[in-house]
Amino acid sequence: MHAFPLQSDWAFVLGSLDLLFEGLVVTVALTAASIALGFLLGFPAGAVEVYGRGPLASIVETAGVVLRGTPLLVIIIILFFVVSVSSSAFVTAAVALGLRSGAYQSQIFRGALQSVDEGQLEAARSVGMGRLQAIRHVVVPQALRRSVPGFQNEFTIVLKDTSIAIVIGLGELLTVGQNLYQGGQSTAALEIFLTVSLIYFVLTFTTNRTLDYVDDHFTIPGGEQA
Amino acid sequence: MSDPLLRLDDVYKSYGDERVLSGVSFEMETGDVDVVIGPSGSGKSTMLRCVNRLTEIDSGAIYLDGDCVTDADTDVNELRKQVGMVFQDFNLFAHLTALGNVTLGLRKVRGMEKSAAREKGYEHLEQVGLLDQADSYPAELSGGQKQRVGIARALAMDPKLLLFDEPTSALDPELVGEVVDVMRDLAAEGITMLVVSHEMGFARSAASDIVFLDGGEIVEHGPPEQLFENPRADRTREFLGRLRTEHEEG
Repeated sequence: MHAFPLQSDWAFVLGSLDLLFEGLVVTVALTAASIALGFLLGFPAGAVEVYGRGPLASIVETAGVVLRGTPLLVIIIILFFVVSVSSSAFVTAAVALGLRSGAYQSQIFRGALQSVDEGQLEAARSVGMGRLQAIRHVVVPQALRRSVPGFQNEFTIVLKDTSIAIVIGLGELLTVGQNLYQGGQSTAALEIFLTVSLIYFVLTFTTNRTLDYVDDHFTIPGGEQA
Repeated sequence: MSDPLLRLDDVYKSYGDERVLSGVSFEMETGDVDVVIGPSGSGKSTMLRCVNRLTEIDSGAIYLDGDCVTDADTDVNELRKQVGMVFQDFNLFAHLTALGNVTLGLRKVRGMEKSAAREKGYEHLEQVGLLDQADSYPAELSGGQKQRVGIARALAMDPKLLLFDEPTSALDPELVGEVVDVMRDLAAEGITMLVVSHEMGFARSAASDIVFLDGGEIVEHGPPEQLFENPRADRTREFLGRLRTEHEEG
């Protein structure tokens, strides 16, 4: 039996599942925190890009361009080692991922808001709603529905990109995996990476399916032509 | 003498270099049903949209019930509570049911309670014959039904004046009748309406006055029998002739 090192490497992976699970929890928490922060930043930013004017709109737009144009690795290293926003690697990683996700989410929402027909806003204004009221009660509910597919994509990207927190030593899934084979059985590297990849896949698959369900659930009966 | 319900006083509007309204003056009284006709690009829709300020005029003034509504400090939301609008392409709120479309303004603009708004919403859906479609979403309705919901949505705000911007132009021919019937009922009930439309049947039977607009000017303005049978201006005669030919060919 011991003539097959592969087998013992898989046994090693199995024996380390509890550690991998801890990494998984960090990964899920980091994804949730980053997506949430990204939404809080990205949704208003998208709205400002569509409806805003003046300096605020330019600031938001520029910030988005800079964030989207900077590698995530650079953002996270700057935030941790240069600006040091927090001594916690988790918080730093969440801020880095959240900022970057906000920049991308802003474009998802910008596109969704712009896709809602101008006549919807006009009809809302015509019954006497103010501009903000009309946007809030008529445009936003429709735009949010249309942003689900883009959001799905973003969710998957952020989930996998949490692995970049490895550079600041956060014990997320990939870091745990790497520590395992570096500290223990170096021959198990492939098995560990395959297992870690499988876990990422299961996570993205289930979240995507969940969002598919959300999309179906909120789809307007009959379609969207009004 | 009391003020007319609506008065346009020497209204001018240009889009860039293109003049769309060129000194339009016009009055209508409460209870009137005035139908605006004219070739495409003559400024009919612009004239209508200026009344509820979806389009801003360049000069002149518009008065509703004696109040100037084109002043810079006019509260446009207050104005629009009093002037309903029905659109050519319906513009129903796509994410709301027929009832939701009718009640949104009642709740968010009038601040009505949900149950009171629903009750009033049902009332107006019944008025346009769509009580049975209250829970349908716009995309589940036919064009004619959509437009009737559009009318109910505007009626629900109890406006002093209802604007109709080519309400039947986007409809399949067989669906025009149901919308025109509803409009005729409203006219008979004494609802004040300013209608841009080429539905001659409606214009003849329901209009108090016909306004013929061409090149941004009111060429002729008078009761239907006079304007249709004995138009004074050559331009009116020519336009009516074209319109009749199209109808016969169509």
